Amino acid sequence: MQDSFSRPAPPILGVSNRVSLIFMVTLAVALLLLGRAETYVFDQARQVVTDLAAPVLELGSRPVAAGRRLVERTDEFAYVFDENERLRQENAELLTWKEKALKLQARLARYEALLNVQLDPSINYVTGRVIGDTGGPFVETFIVNLGHEHGVESGQAVVDSEGLIGRIVSSGERASRILLLTDLNSRVPVTIEPTRQRAVLSGDNTVWPKLEFLPAGSGVVPGDHVVTSGHGGLMPPGLPVGTVIQTENGDLRVQTFSNRNRLDMVRVLQYRFPMDVPEQNPPSKLTAPVPGEEGEEGRPSAAGQNGAFGGPAVRGSLAGAGGAGQ
Amino acid sequence: MKPKETIGPTPAARAGKLALLTLPFLVGLFCVFLTFVPIGSIVGIEVAPAFALMAVYYWAAHQPETFPPYAVFAVGLLQDLLSAGPIGLWAFTYVVIYGVVQTQRLVFAGRVPLVLWTGFALTALLAGAIAWGVASLYYARVLPPGPVLLQLIVTVALFPIFATLFARVERILAPSI
Repeated sequence: MQDSFSRPAPPILGVSNRVSLIFMVTLAVALLLLGRAETYVFDQARQVVTDLAAPVLELGSRPVAAGRRLVERTDEFAYVFDENERLRQENAELLTWKEKALKLQARLARYEALLNVQLDPSINYVTGRVIGDTGGPFVETFIVNLGHEHGVESGQAVVDSEGLIGRIVSSGERASRILLLTDLNSRVPVTIEPTRQRAVLSGDNTVWPKLEFLPAGSGVVPGDHVVTSGHGGLMPPGLPVGTVIQTENGDLRVQTFSNRNRLDMVRVLQYRFPMDVPEQNPPSKLTAPVPGEEGEEGRPSAAGQNGAFGGPAVRGSLAGAGGAGQ
Repeated sequence: MKPKETIGPTPAARAGKLALLTLPFLVGLFCVFLTFVPIGSIVGIEVAPAFALMAVYYWAAHQPETFPPYAVFAVGLLQDLLSAGPIGLWAFTYVVIYGVVQTQRLVFAGRVPLVLWTGFALTALLAGAIAWGVASLYYARVLPPGPVLLQLIVTVALFPIFATLFARVERILAPSI
């Protein structure tokens, strides 16, 4: 009869509860301090957990991807006529550009052959899907469903259809983590077109990463294009990154082409710094065009003489070398 | 004295009860995974609401005995491991929040939704401040508070929906406590 109505109310904080609470707080603080000092073990643990969680995250991200497609489809449907008109105009403009580009490409191939330019090896890539969001306000990383089994390694650049997103910072068997350009820890060497100024694109957890180490009076103005410089050898040069903007207090920052809110399919570039490119000696002499021979509209025929160094052949052999090394 | 009952629950019933008792913890883990699902990208916004904070708050306010401190720690640690931030950040924040909310439990005893919601808003503010402070110390620089504030606003706005779901889980649990 006692316990029917005079059961004591549960204590607000029982002794054992309080002890375990204090113990857990201490443990968390210890983890924080340890994690600051020793990162390797924690990084490994983190990668194992991410790998294990990848199937669950993948499962969760599917309906989200479907939902997003639905929303985008609806959006597109509303503007389909305007969009069609705009695309028609753009197509007409692009066709003239295509003509110009084809002419320039042909001319460039000849010049490259003449000057014996060392071409970049072709870059392989794998395509994957973003399955994990940042999960917190202090980090800017995504999880992608690609890992060692797809040839993804730390340091590789990640792009979407618009431009550079970031790079892989850790990779497991099935999943890897992308460090976005906007993250506090992201530093990417870039070149600013058209002045060819070099700078470091440095994230600070805001939407627009900063341009650092830009000399005073560099002539960089808002609207300039930012591309990767390839310095350091991690990323291929010339990947589009974004546009220079100026903040209210005069800082130069970058609006990235890629939109982190719309990330879905991404490409991981398997680029290797071209260190083992076979040596290419310049042609011993550049011969004057011989009328009648080659018949290339009277242009110098060095390309013809050094047939092995002609555009497509070089591309082919270098691509082969790059591919074999991977 | 009443004679002691000789017939106890069957092992199966006991196992079922045990499974039910871990339900709040499983809900907490589910909330952590939900944080990492890129839901924001559907509508094109960059926030991951702190779902796990809602779970920690709700159970600390209502039934801390079903969500003990080590479970809170485990939920926080999973979030730390899945995110790339400092390990221990969310474990620390959640355990501290859990302790603070427990001391104020009598306030929530009446289960007035508005009180619960206001309490959550204050708790979220405290959690955001703690996490922001710890992360700033960890990285040894003042982090931009914008993303945290945005996350807090969205989290507080979504809380009533999740509180309803948690209440349903609590009702399933009710007979076994």
